[in-house]
Amino acid sequence: MSWNHDEASQADTTGIEHLDGLYSYAMVLTRNHAEAEDLVQETYVRAIQALGRLRAGSNMKSWLFTILRNIWFNQLRKRRNGPQMVEIEVEDGVANSIAEPSKNSHDLYVSKMEAEQVRATIQELPVESREIILLREYEDLSYQEIATVLDCPVGTVMSRLGRARAKLRALLSETLKGSDSLSVRGTK
Amino acid sequence: MKDCGRDYGVTIELYLDKELIGPDLEEFRAHLEACAACRVELEMREELSRLLHRSRPLYSAPAALRDRVMRATELMPSSAPYALPRLRRRILRVLTRPVQSAGRGVRHWPMLVAAILLVAAGLLPIPGILRQVSANSYIEAAVAAHRSSLNGGLPLEIKSESPSAVTAWFAGKVPFNFRLPEAAEEVGHEQIYRLTGGRLVNYKDGYAALVSYQMQQQTISLLVASSKSAIAAGGEEVPSGGIVFHYSKQMGFAVITWSTHGLTYALVSSLPGSGRQSCMVCHQNMSNRDHF
Repeated sequence: MSWNHDEASQADTTGIEHLDGLYSYAMVLTRNHAEAEDLVQETYVRAIQALGRLRAGSNMKSWLFTILRNIWFNQLRKRRNGPQMVEIEVEDGVANSIAEPSKNSHDLYVSKMEAEQVRATIQELPVESREIILLREYEDLSYQEIATVLDCPVGTVMSRLGRARAKLRALLSETLKGSDSLSVRGTK
Repeated sequence: MKDCGRDYGVTIELYLDKELIGPDLEEFRAHLEACAACRVELEMREELSRLLHRSRPLYSAPAALRDRVMRATELMPSSAPYALPRLRRRILRVLTRPVQSAGRGVRHWPMLVAAILLVAAGLLPIPGILRQVSANSYIEAAVAAHRSSLNGGLPLEIKSESPSAVTAWFAGKVPFNFRLPEAAEEVGHEQIYRLTGGRLVNYKDGYAALVSYQMQQQTISLLVASSKSAIAAGGEEVPSGGIVFHYSKQMGFAVITWSTHGLTYALVSSLPGSGRQSCMVCHQNMSNRDHF
């Protein structure tokens, strides 16, 4: 599939490489596996429909994340006007963690626990903080790209990101102390 | 930081995010060399970033979702932006909904081209495929709702063993009319399952009714939607009483779907046995057991 009309970037641009990122974004927005899956699928459906409107050289990653957020936002607005549905909290055990084969079982366990702790802590944050942490720390979007996705000024991105990180640092202070000892053992 | 006479907090964030450029970057680097407080602050913030990066990806997309999206992306023609809108819509309708009975999808471009040509030439039995795709989509929705119910993620919005109370609760909330059969209809026969309640669930652009039953410690879910948006098709087909029941297994659950009077039902449970046998679990003591 050609999402981008630019020949040079066409080869590795299928949209599928952003699947985990989009699913993660959907998860931090909805905190619900079923809703996140629906959201991601709907994002691809809308993206295919809108292919013809994607300009040459467009940033497909930001574009997909923007579509996903718009769908979620519209659903949220629609839901507020209709019967209330229950938001389901995420169970950490469902999430996958990526393990490196060279790690021994203890380190694997520590990594898994650490990743679960991080996920759970992020999900404790307000949605505004959750999404900005995801977009910056996990998806490596620039301030300008984040501003486009969130439809807000770059200055707002900076201030939200600063607040979100400060809050996350405070909540993860114990884990951060623990990760120091992990670093000393050279397993990082 | 503040210890060095100026608040470098924002600058440190910009530096960390590689948003600091040009003379500002050079100036801050020079400052870092001279300022221990800012180095400590930077290290502290970098530690958080390292921790977050170690937990990448935050979530991995489930395999089923990946398969669906991959099928869609692989089967989309490379000339999609320039394709006729009508053709694109047709491909979209076929490919972007889950098709459980299909294979892993077309992996190689010659097959891809062949498939697209077939679609373009109108040689594929589009109505049949769309029907199956829609049926699978409904089954998936029913299983997802059932699983969420089992996990406690979809608590009942009405808890009642009274079919009339549950029926009344759904009235006006779902875009169709339906009535749960009264227990009295089975007078003289012991009911081995009991109604526990129901709730609304999202389905496509509207709501469907999720009705919950309990039988021998097991939860059974019944998803009810309008036949305009949900279709029963595929699986093991068993005609009974003028209705065709479709039995299938989905993610370890037994699923029975059928359509009647403008509504489509999906019953999801962990009941053992084949489709016909699983029906008998509930209907064994009932007057209509000979139908199964």
